[in-house]
Amino acid sequence: MNGNTNDVIIETHDLKKHYKGSTIKALNGVSLKIHRGEVVVIVGPSGSGKSTFLRSLNLLEMPTSGSIVFNGVDITDKKVNINRHRQKMGMVFQHFNLFPHMTVLKNLTSAPMKLLKLSKAEAEERAMQLLARVGLADRADSYPSTLSGGQKQRIAIARALAMNPEVMLFDEPTSALDPEMVGEVLDLMKELAAEGMTMVVVTHEMGFAREVADRIVFMSDGVVGADATPDEFFNNTENPRLRQFLDKIL
Amino acid sequence: MEFFNKLKEDFILCFVDDSRWKWLWDGLKNTMIITFFALLIGLVIGIVIATVRSTFDKNREEYKKKGGFFYFIWWIVNAICNIYLTVVRGTPVVVQLLICYFIVFASSRNGVAVAIFAFGINSGAYVAEIIRGGIMSIDNGQFEAGRSLGYNYVQTMIYIIIPQVFKAILPTLCNEFIVLIKETSVAGYVGVMDLTKAGDRIRGVTFKAFLPLIAVALIYLVVVIILTRLVNVLERRLRKNER
Repeated sequence: MNGNTNDVIIETHDLKKHYKGSTIKALNGVSLKIHRGEVVVIVGPSGSGKSTFLRSLNLLEMPTSGSIVFNGVDITDKKVNINRHRQKMGMVFQHFNLFPHMTVLKNLTSAPMKLLKLSKAEAEERAMQLLARVGLADRADSYPSTLSGGQKQRIAIARALAMNPEVMLFDEPTSALDPEMVGEVLDLMKELAAEGMTMVVVTHEMGFAREVADRIVFMSDGVVGADATPDEFFNNTENPRLRQFLDKIL
Repeated sequence: MEFFNKLKEDFILCFVDDSRWKWLWDGLKNTMIITFFALLIGLVIGIVIATVRSTFDKNREEYKKKGGFFYFIWWIVNAICNIYLTVVRGTPVVVQLLICYFIVFASSRNGVAVAIFAFGINSGAYVAEIIRGGIMSIDNGQFEAGRSLGYNYVQTMIYIIIPQVFKAILPTLCNEFIVLIKETSVAGYVGVMDLTKAGDRIRGVTFKAFLPLIAVALIYLVVVIILTRLVNVLERRLRKNER
């Protein structure tokens, strides 16, 4: 990514979300800055609101209050065309969500052709480059149902990259994978990070967090409990909730 | 021997004399015409209603936020759809047919057209629920994946959801067609010479009940068996593809 690496790409301010008919606040005032080129890993116990937070960044979850400023625009504003901004935020899901009725190639070319108005040839060229990069060029004409979980997730990452996003959001990308397939997906994410992609990753992979993250954000009960570099994070002895979490997970 | 001679005599009386077999043939044609066009009307109505209902269901919160008049319009249209579904599915099709013929189109004596209209309205309600069921059966992750790429709601429906829904419900839709063939047998109530009515007319003229009615039943059966076979083939094709 070009420009100053200290340049803020996403900033949330006092983000709150509560579901109707529930007293629990999924998000209870989250303010966070994500800089261009940064890899932010969000961890926390289940139900801590980390997925809700990630999914509100592109408004798959509508926050109840607070603001999300992406590239200088508050996207929670009703007048903003969210679809345009979503094109710049790639998202990778826990369950891949590939389109089962399209071939792998079509999965990668459909959105760029329809939304970025690329010609078929341009879109396919870009798609084939991405497929080669994720090591699955030979599966271009296969349907998703014939792929393994790890392959599906790599395709899903390629599909998001095909839109040429400025930031990639990962929602527990390895949680639905068999253990032997986790590595191939994490390796791909490491490569992306090394190339300077801005990434926000919700995951339980502490090894990945330690190795790749610029910052680790610990969430519990809908608030940010800690926000630190990996070194500080794993040696933090002050925060009891974080201590408890780390004791359980490490 | 005498039995077979008698049967042969009856057969000639019922189907050969006066070319009465033609009545059955014309009846079958009317039955198929009514069924086919009724299903077309049903499809159009079904698609519109299923779209309205599932759009409203999925976006209710968002529309509520936009508030006021916009939400009110959606609420009204959705309510109208629900009333239509309740009324059509809650009353017998014969009654609907009679109302169409003797009240709504009282001035028209074109029984086939009225029957097409009535069965179309009727099957629209069932097709709507088939389509809506199809839309609801698609994993919500598919919507989210579409939206996260930047597709708006309509684009997500057109490029991502509908193609999958179509594949999922095609066999059920064909079955609706088969059911409709049998349902149109009450078209005789409004003077339409469909297959059933044709058989009944032969019975009326010849005073023989056995052969004409059994013949009518056999024709329905053969048509339904053939179509069911075709649907099964289609179903297998769809399953083989992409898996």
